[in-house]
Amino acid sequence: MTDLPLAGFVAVSAVLLGIGLFGILTRRNFILLLIAIEVAMNSAILNFVVFGSYWNSISASSVEGQSVAVVLIGLAATEVAVGLAIVLALNRSRGSINVAEATTLRL
Amino acid sequence: MTGPLSVLFGWAFLVPLAPTLAFVVIGLFGRRMQRLEWGGWVAVGGALFAMVLGVLIAVGEMLTPGSYTDRSFQWFTLAGSGTGAFPNGFSLVMGTLVDPLSAVMLIVVTVVGFLVMLFSIDYMHRDSGLPRYYAELSLFLASMLGLVLADNLLQFFLFWELVGVCSYFLIGFYYQRPAAASAAKEAFLVTRIGDVLFLLGIFIYFQQFATAGPALGWAAAGFPFVYHSAPFLAGIPISNPTLFTIAGLLILGGAAGKSAQFPLDVWLPDAMEGPTTVSALIHAATMVAAGVYLLAITSVFIGFSATDQLAIVAIGGFTTFWAATMALVNRDIKRVIAYSTVSQLGYMVLAVGAGFTMVGLYHLFTHAFFKALLFLAAGAVIHAIETQDLFKMGGLRKTMRVTSIGFLIGGLSLAGIPPLAGFFSKDDVLGGVYLAAQSHPLYWPFFALAFLTVFMTAYYIFRAWFLAFSGDQPRDSTLPQAHEPPWTMRLPILVLSALAVVAGLLAFVPQFGGLFAAGARFPPTPGVPPSYSATDLLLSGVSVGLGAGGILTAYTLWGNGRVFTLDARSAAQPIRRLLLERYYVKAGVDWFGLHAVYGLARLADFFDQYVIDGTVHGFERLFAEFSLRLRRIQSGVVLDYAAYVVAGLAVFLLFFFVIVPAIPALGGG
Repeated sequence: MTDLPLAGFVAVSAVLLGIGLFGILTRRNFILLLIAIEVAMNSAILNFVVFGSYWNSISASSVEGQSVAVVLIGLAATEVAVGLAIVLALNRSRGSINVAEATTLRL
Repeated sequence: MTGPLSVLFGWAFLVPLAPTLAFVVIGLFGRRMQRLEWGGWVAVGGALFAMVLGVLIAVGEMLTPGSYTDRSFQWFTLAGSGTGAFPNGFSLVMGTLVDPLSAVMLIVVTVVGFLVMLFSIDYMHRDSGLPRYYAELSLFLASMLGLVLADNLLQFFLFWELVGVCSYFLIGFYYQRPAAASAAKEAFLVTRIGDVLFLLGIFIYFQQFATAGPALGWAAAGFPFVYHSAPFLAGIPISNPTLFTIAGLLILGGAAGKSAQFPLDVWLPDAMEGPTTVSALIHAATMVAAGVYLLAITSVFIGFSATDQLAIVAIGGFTTFWAATMALVNRDIKRVIAYSTVSQLGYMVLAVGAGFTMVGLYHLFTHAFFKALLFLAAGAVIHAIETQDLFKMGGLRKTMRVTSIGFLIGGLSLAGIPPLAGFFSKDDVLGGVYLAAQSHPLYWPFFALAFLTVFMTAYYIFRAWFLAFSGDQPRDSTLPQAHEPPWTMRLPILVLSALAVVAGLLAFVPQFGGLFAAGARFPPTPGVPPSYSATDLLLSGVSVGLGAGGILTAYTLWGNGRVFTLDARSAAQPIRRLLLERYYVKAGVDWFGLHAVYGLARLADFFDQYVIDGTVHGFERLFAEFSLRLRRIQSGVVLDYAAYVVAGLAVFLLFFFVIVPAIPALGGG
């Protein structure tokens, strides 16, 4: 890793989380919602990688952070697969993928 | 001491057991016993067995004068610890006691019980619900016999409550009629007042017996009515005489409730809503006499203080007069006899209070027969013409010969005309009270009241007889044609007529009279058989004269179909109305109930509705409102939930990174 400051990476991660949260709270299209979730999730993955690398640079050699990041990427893929399945089911049952209209969870 | 029939004394428990079995059998299978009159003949069978065994035991008791046979088992025992309310511990027993008192009662209860059961067969035939009737009547008979044979006050009380509840059931037999249902409730509640007092009295006696009893030679086992040469109170130093006086008054309260003595007398006339057979058995001969029997066993086994005796004399003497006045004007044949019962029970209470316990019991014995006779004869009339109104009857002696003669014999006996049963016993009561009043001047007014009542008694019962049986034909021509009842009804009337004639003379049979002599084991000695001093003969003469005068007055006013009508402007009209309205006691009780008690109940209801329920419902409504508002956040929209999650996260971050560091107590600052 180069000598770029740690704070810069964390700031990028925070920005990504902000964009993701903004997308989650404002998008009504389920697919855009899923993308926003992915963005937020990638901010978390970036954090793992950054801190893993930082830890590696100051002491023992380890790849824990990066390993977790790989697992998380797999997890994110799984989540998207489940999410897309829900999108398909929703579209098939209601003819729309607008999440604001899917209110059958209401008491 | 043993006699030829003493072996039966140990088997006395079979006497109540037979009707109990009848009760169980009828209760379980009565509805399938159509051919046995829906259990009627089973009940008659149980009563017959009880009568045969009961009378044999009574005869056995006569043959072994003064014997006391107590067969009991320990119910439970509590060992004494030397301190506390029961330093000697106590035990409760159940058992049977055959003694002169219970022998007399055995005869009364079993004989009248059997005859009434037999009478019921045809009298009740047209009614529905007969299995219930016969089961309850059998249960009553069993309980009454258990009461009569009880060997301790606790067992006595248990059966006392049982007869009370049977009385409630049977008064309310026609429960579809509001009057009957209300009379049943009234009887139950009014006697309940007495029962509570009685129970309190038992507590006091029980405590005193369990502590002082063993030291005085009484059995350590609680308080059975064990044989003893003197009653508990006589000749022993009593630590707390006031307590015993109070206990005696409480016992008197219980007896007054059961025996319908003033002021707990209102229920008995209303109890006439039950079938006439029930009135004859329960409300004339047996259950209402239980109060007198209670006073008798209390005075024999425990004893009353002088104050108690005066209270008993006062209540008995006053009730005699009080009830008789109300009988003077009543139109209902059963109610006239019911008032008469209250009045006659007053004589018994009076005698017991004056110290002539066995004389009171003797009057109970004769009264049971002639009063049951009067009721059954009235029942035959009601059965035939289906009305109880004396002013609709008339001329029935032509169509109902046996009944009219039975009623006449009962009436003559009640009026105290020699040589019928009522003469001897009433004469003994009056003689006894006269004797007691010599040394207790406070008894005089009550003696006077009881003496005056003799005239009224003869008058009201013959007013009823003349109204119902004399004259040419019924005053109400729409009544059904009267007819002589069938043999099941005639036989009890004939047997009771015979008993009403000879029951008084029986006292002259030494063995039978001995029952009454042996039972009273403390002075003053009872006057049975009657003594023949000059004063006594004079008293008898005057009382017979009063009785005859009453009959003559009744004949003048009501004889030969005459109807005496009081002038509307007569000064006696207010008195007549007062008597018809039962001295406004019932109206007063109703007023009190409707205004005072009901008002209190409404106040309590208000408190319950608006304060207690108001609080509960208030909280309920508060949470309901809150929940209704809160549930709106459950929109079902995923985006909203996401917003809540983010908001929650924000609050969490705010708390840990802004608030906690700012507060020193939480480790910040």
